[in-house]
Amino acid sequence: MAPGAASLHRRGHRSVFREERRLGAAMLTPALAVIALVAAYPIGYAVWLSLNEYSVITPGLSRFVGLDNYSEALGSSEFWDAMITTLVFTAASVGLELAIGLGMALVMHQAFRGRALLRAVVLVPWAILTVVTAITWRTIFEPELGFVNTMLTTLSLPGGDVVWLGERGYALGVMILADVWKTAPFMALLILAGLQGIPDELHDAAKVDGASTWQRFRSITLPLLVPAITVALIFRTLDAMRVFDLPYVLTKGANGTETLSLIAQEELVTNRNTGLGSALSVLTFLTVMGVSFLYIRFIGGNLRTLTEDEQ
Amino acid sequence: MRSYLISLIVIAGLACLGLVACGDDDNGAAPEASTLQPAQAQDASGSVTWCIGKDTSGAFTAAVEAFNKENPNLNADLLELPESADLQREQQVQRLRAESSECDVLGMDVIWTAEYAAAGWLYDITPVVDQHEDEFIPSTVETVEYEGKKWALPYNTNAGFVYYRTDQVSQPPTTWEQVYEEAQKQDGLVYQGERYEGLTVGFLELLFSAGGSVLSEDGETVEIDSPEAREVLEFMGNGVKDGAVPKAVTTYEEESSRRAFEAGNATFMRNWPYAYALGKESAIADDFDIATFPGFAGNEGAGVVGGYNLGISAFSDNPEGSLAFAEFLVTPQVQKQAMEATLPATVTAVYKDPKVRKALPFAPELLKAVEQAEARPVSPVYTQISQAIYDNVFEILNGRISPDEAATTMSSQIEEALERF
Repeated sequence: MAPGAASLHRRGHRSVFREERRLGAAMLTPALAVIALVAAYPIGYAVWLSLNEYSVITPGLSRFVGLDNYSEALGSSEFWDAMITTLVFTAASVGLELAIGLGMALVMHQAFRGRALLRAVVLVPWAILTVVTAITWRTIFEPELGFVNTMLTTLSLPGGDVVWLGERGYALGVMILADVWKTAPFMALLILAGLQGIPDELHDAAKVDGASTWQRFRSITLPLLVPAITVALIFRTLDAMRVFDLPYVLTKGANGTETLSLIAQEELVTNRNTGLGSALSVLTFLTVMGVSFLYIRFIGGNLRTLTEDEQ
Repeated sequence: MRSYLISLIVIAGLACLGLVACGDDDNGAAPEASTLQPAQAQDASGSVTWCIGKDTSGAFTAAVEAFNKENPNLNADLLELPESADLQREQQVQRLRAESSECDVLGMDVIWTAEYAAAGWLYDITPVVDQHEDEFIPSTVETVEYEGKKWALPYNTNAGFVYYRTDQVSQPPTTWEQVYEEAQKQDGLVYQGERYEGLTVGFLELLFSAGGSVLSEDGETVEIDSPEAREVLEFMGNGVKDGAVPKAVTTYEEESSRRAFEAGNATFMRNWPYAYALGKESAIADDFDIATFPGFAGNEGAGVVGGYNLGISAFSDNPEGSLAFAEFLVTPQVQKQAMEATLPATVTAVYKDPKVRKALPFAPELLKAVEQAEARPVSPVYTQISQAIYDNVFEILNGRISPDEAATTMSSQIEEALERF
């Protein structure tokens, strides 16, 4: 796409480019058709489902209700509570993952004995299924027999009688902790890839010029890492906004820990409320899309200037 | 180029919508259920698939093998669904909505029977059940009735018990009030207090004991906004507030409460019979016993019927063979063998068998517990009804709303569920 986009800015040779554009479009058509089939069709189907009400009592019966499901969803406090929970969870977990992941990447980038082993070991949490992670954390925070409370009680520290998963604040904390533990290594891996793309010559040159470690980090490493960090952030944010397994296993959404995906699943599967459930899914989709749009708009802008600078 | 792309996507999108709209011509009313007669099971042949939860006890596989041995013309297969009831229902509902003929005999939790029947997913087997009726424990037959017809054969049943520490309490408790009082003085009572079906069961056990009900006999009117319900809600809320019940129960399911009890952290526990055999292998093996539910508010104790029913899928390719297989599963011989594998039988005669008594020493108490248990509201929207109950009881346990508020909210949410399209 990049050469095509760049050519748009140039004047002259119009007809040649138009022809080339047409050819490009023609060659893209099969790929777009596949995308339409596997992505657009289910999305379109979900939108269609969300405009109808499906009978819970008599399967197969349905009626068109327009935007009723949306007004029901947007008018319910459940939806907004889930929205807030999801956003809080996303902001906190992605923020922490970025900080920790960056730290881990910087350490793993250093040359030392056993580096390859460390890199492999660090990825272990990420390789474990989220549900398994969640069950483990649930066991750790079990109120009477869990590791945390047993530890606190044995050491006579305060908090040994707290029901961690039974209160909103703490439960959200455990959810964030579980997510950070699992995905900070993934973040680290993406950032590490970015780090390895930074040529050593730049650092060597800066050293010759007398730049301190911090100066080199601020002026060389960080700016050149922006593309890698952006990609990592987009991945993680979109993932975190769709979080389902952690609250499902840890709290079943009790005490205000329901997320958007959780309430959508509850309506769709448990309550067989296909219309409202689809409306909730579409709203989740729109929220996630809105967030990615913001990313591309604000940080993605940096991405483009960077690539253009390179050319 | 960009406008070309956009128009291509829009066209693709519209085409999708069009496809969907055209494909959605399934707007007919629910099909009238067909009836199976007992005689139809005779001379059945072919194969049938039994879809029921994971075979943790080994009883399902054993029953299928016995059936295949005795019936050379018929072949039964076991399709194991997940272990958790919610996931089993998801699996079955997905297949039934798609009108799949994969499952012939459905192992349904007692609370799904009305939902499946209303949806037209089951054969009406009233004549078959009537023929066997006096063999079953009466409360188990209640769970297969919906709109005056019988939709399934009760396969196994269940009822809760009070487990108590014999080293802390000398006598089995006779009232729930006494349980809470003792619990407060000693190490507390644990039960299933997480926001899920288990909490609905715990609440209904007390409500039924208090003489309250959720729906009227005909299932049309909501009766839960009652003094009895308020009393139970207040009782449960105070239990947590006064320390008779640890706050931790709000995160407990069956297994977590069992672990807490076995670790010696509680004086009492409400749980299903399965915890008995396991408890006898734990550190407190010699220090606990079980009792049927005590009375409440001056009434006799009552429980809630659990267990599984066997329905015959309306989409089965072999309803006759399915019927033969389902009937086989409720014969005393198969029921006895299931009971020895810890699945409580629905057939009364089994409880008197000396071999069963040896395997399950508390068989007489179990029979009594099931007899005094009541069915949960039989309704196609049971899931929503239960949700309304456990959501509000959960708020009560956390002390966030008053019993008054909980009772009225519950009632209006259940009314809403009953009016569902």
